[in-house]
Amino acid sequence: MPETNMITTIGAEHYLVLSAILFSIGMAGVLLRRNLIVLLMSIELMLNAVNISFVTFSYYSGKVEGQIMVFFVMTIAAAEAAVGLALAVSIFKRFKEVNIRFFEHLKG
Amino acid sequence: MTADVFLFWFLALITVISGLAVVLMANPIYSALCLAMTMISVAAIFVTLQAYFLAGVQIIVYAGAVMVLFVMVLMLFDLKHELQAFTRGRATGALKIASVGILSGLIVGAVTIGLTIAGRSSDEVISAAAAGGVVDTTRGLSEALFLKNIFGFEALGVLLLVIAVGTVALSRSKGGTHARD
Amino acid sequence: MNQQALIAILLLSPLIGFFLNGVRFRSTNYVLAGSIATIAVLISFICSVLLFLNLVDLPPEARRITANFFEWIAVDKFKINAGFAVDQISSIMILIITGVGALIHLFSIGYMHHDKGVTKYFAYLNLFIFNMLILVLGDSLLTMFVGWEGVGLCSYLLIGFWFNDSAKAAAGMKAFITNRIGDAAFIIGMFILFMTFGTLNMHELNMLAPTIAESSWLGAVTLGTMMLFIGATGKSAQIPLYVWLPDAMAGPTPVSALIHAATMVTAGIYMIVRLNGLFIVAPNTMMVIAIVGAATAVMAATIGLTQFDIKKVLAYSTVSQLGYMFLAVGVGAFGAGMFHLMTHAFFKALMFLGSGSVIHAMHEEQDIRKMGGLRKYLPITHATFFLGWLAIIGMPPFAGFFSKDEILWKAFSSSQGHILLWAAGVLGAVLTAFYMTRLMALTFWGKSRVDKSVHPHESPWLMTVPLIVLAILSVVGGWVGIPHVISEQIGHIPNFWEHWLEPVIRKLPTVVEGAHHDETMLEWSLMGISVGLAAISALTAYIMYTKKEGASDKVAKAFGPVYQLVNKKYLVDEAYSAGIINPLIEGSKNLWYYVDVNVIDKATYKVTDLVRGGGSFVKSLQTGNMQQYAMYIGIGVVVALSFVLMR
Repeated sequence: MPETNMITTIGAEHYLVLSAILFSIGMAGVLLRRNLIVLLMSIELMLNAVNISFVTFSYYSGKVEGQIMVFFVMTIAAAEAAVGLALAVSIFKRFKEVNIRFFEHLKG
Repeated sequence: MTADVFLFWFLALITVISGLAVVLMANPIYSALCLAMTMISVAAIFVTLQAYFLAGVQIIVYAGAVMVLFVMVLMLFDLKHELQAFTRGRATGALKIASVGILSGLIVGAVTIGLTIAGRSSDEVISAAAAGGVVDTTRGLSEALFLKNIFGFEALGVLLLVIAVGTVALSRSKGGTHARD
Repeated sequence: MNQQALIAILLLSPLIGFFLNGVRFRSTNYVLAGSIATIAVLISFICSVLLFLNLVDLPPEARRITANFFEWIAVDKFKINAGFAVDQISSIMILIITGVGALIHLFSIGYMHHDKGVTKYFAYLNLFIFNMLILVLGDSLLTMFVGWEGVGLCSYLLIGFWFNDSAKAAAGMKAFITNRIGDAAFIIGMFILFMTFGTLNMHELNMLAPTIAESSWLGAVTLGTMMLFIGATGKSAQIPLYVWLPDAMAGPTPVSALIHAATMVTAGIYMIVRLNGLFIVAPNTMMVIAIVGAATAVMAATIGLTQFDIKKVLAYSTVSQLGYMFLAVGVGAFGAGMFHLMTHAFFKALMFLGSGSVIHAMHEEQDIRKMGGLRKYLPITHATFFLGWLAIIGMPPFAGFFSKDEILWKAFSSSQGHILLWAAGVLGAVLTAFYMTRLMALTFWGKSRVDKSVHPHESPWLMTVPLIVLAILSVVGGWVGIPHVISEQIGHIPNFWEHWLEPVIRKLPTVVEGAHHDETMLEWSLMGISVGLAAISALTAYIMYTKKEGASDKVAKAFGPVYQLVNKKYLVDEAYSAGIINPLIEGSKNLWYYVDVNVIDKATYKVTDLVRGGGSFVKSLQTGNMQQYAMYIGIGVVVALSFVLMR
């Protein structure tokens, strides 16, 4: 496959690679950031990356189930954000900061 | 280079840059704004994939509701400058970055290898997609959602209810989840 | 009612009593606890009587009622049933156990009423009766062994009943551990017999026993019976394992009467009588039994001469009388052994209960030097004790005379007997007469040496009724076995006892040859010698301890070191301590210092260090840092994915 095709012809792999890159960025954020809220945002990034791949597969396979899955993911993401932020609030109430390291107290 | 192709590269660039900005910005409020940007560009990517309804939902739910939630919580807290944005420890940091890099490399490799082995060119897939009935997406989507997947839909409703109650319980408690008044 | 059901009720009634009292062991309601326990034993006694009457109805050769409740152990050829058998021997035993047991339960209500642990006490007593019945009725050695261990446990629990006193708790432990030594030998004996005969059923063992006596010392039957006998020396307090019985007097006095005089300590004799078919073909074992019995009878009697604790005197007397029984079974006079077992159960239980009554009256004082002249305070106790005294020193026509005389005659006349055995028996009888008279004189007669602060009083009817019943039994109990020579003179009263036991007892021939007339003369003269010597001895003791003050001290001084040695119980306890116990303790200490600390501990510490090291490494992974956890997940995903892709 000539190299020009890679740039001029957009296929499923382009979207999937974009999804992978976005997922990796999100994952790096989860692993490296200390602020709990930024961490939650990074998780949203990862979920969005997954959504992109779902929609891509749905589009290229001509089936609508992939998009249904995206609905579900979005709902879960909203729920997860709500609980995560509630946890962040309680951590903040207790320690006046939202650093991830305060969760170490949960180790028991 | 056609408009479609240009649009994809443009959106991909914006998505990646704003995604990187979410992770790299020291101030969480900037991160939140960059996340909103990412959400919008992802919605635009959905449009290029002809998922118009999802694009709308993405903007309303994510860029609207979830982002507002994040920003509100951020405003609730005292926004001092974060002294240390990233975790300490060079070895583990390197390990983390390496694992992230290898993972993305693996995914990319898997995608390309998988599509090559499948032996389908992108064009054929597109034509197959064009032949399929994804044109009237919103209608197909609603039918699939409310006829085929109605149980999952209802289960999600219950989940949201539980989450709402749980969130209220978590926020009200003072000394943790097991505190008695 | 069918007979198996009777046996079941007989066994279960005390067990149910044990549970009823055991579950409410903190209660101090002594009337309720005592009633439950006594009624439970009384029901067993009624069952025993019914079973006995059923046996009498059967023809002599078929007098055997068996009950197989379930198959207990079945491993290949080794099959043991939970089987129980009532025959001529065990029927007598269950009558003694439940009858005397019921009387002692009744006595205990009066004796223990002030005790806080009274319900627990009665629960233990019932458990003891249950285990004793298992021991007696079990038709195989293993079933018997269950009861054997069970009565050992109850004995331990009851000796150490007042376990807050560490000396009493130690006495319980001493009894238990000494018994363990015997029990180990008992188990080995069972192994040998099972290897030889392939069964542990006692009826079958008696049937399978060879007809020709085994002369070698190392033959299977000799070894097996010898081991069983060592087990019996533990339970029945014979040389060398008798040391626990005098210490066992730490328990409540009714316990001493029931367990350590009337029933449990006779288990060894009972076991030998049950296996008489087996023992009789091992003359070497028989010889050892007779010698050990005679030696114990004399030795314990001499120690009894010097003791001042009323219960200790009776304890050594028990050991001595048990020696008589072993002497009897050792010379092949199994019937006489059982006979003495029964009469001894009557008069020794009577004397222990009498001593309990005295101790009760004296407010827990047991030293006979601080008694004297109690006859006028305790008339009923004195009268019953007096009858028991006549019985034990063998005065005709009291119970002890007939059984003791039977034993002495058999020791002289049996083919296993010897004149020395007879002489030892007579010596034992003389000593018994002396120390028993001494006990009577110091306790009941002479001048009162009672402390001014103590006001002795006669015991309540709950305690005197059992005394009276036992006193009657001590008088008439011997009349079931009147020897031929006497019955010929007084009108041919048949010897019920011998007749009853005949089908199940193998006999040795009498070796005194010659005319019937000579033999009768000989028996009369031997009887006269032993009774006469005992009477003289008793009279001497009476004069020495009531009429002449200080005579006993003079005698004690005259014998000096010998007296001291006897008073210190021949230093047997000290010898055991120095010879066995201390070396064991020292050896164990050395094992601890050198082997345990240096080898075993180090090895285990190495292992724990290894585990701990591994644990601390794994612990370092659990930091609580969630991002690190996420990293592990990420690494895991990477590895899994690469595995899938590289495949």
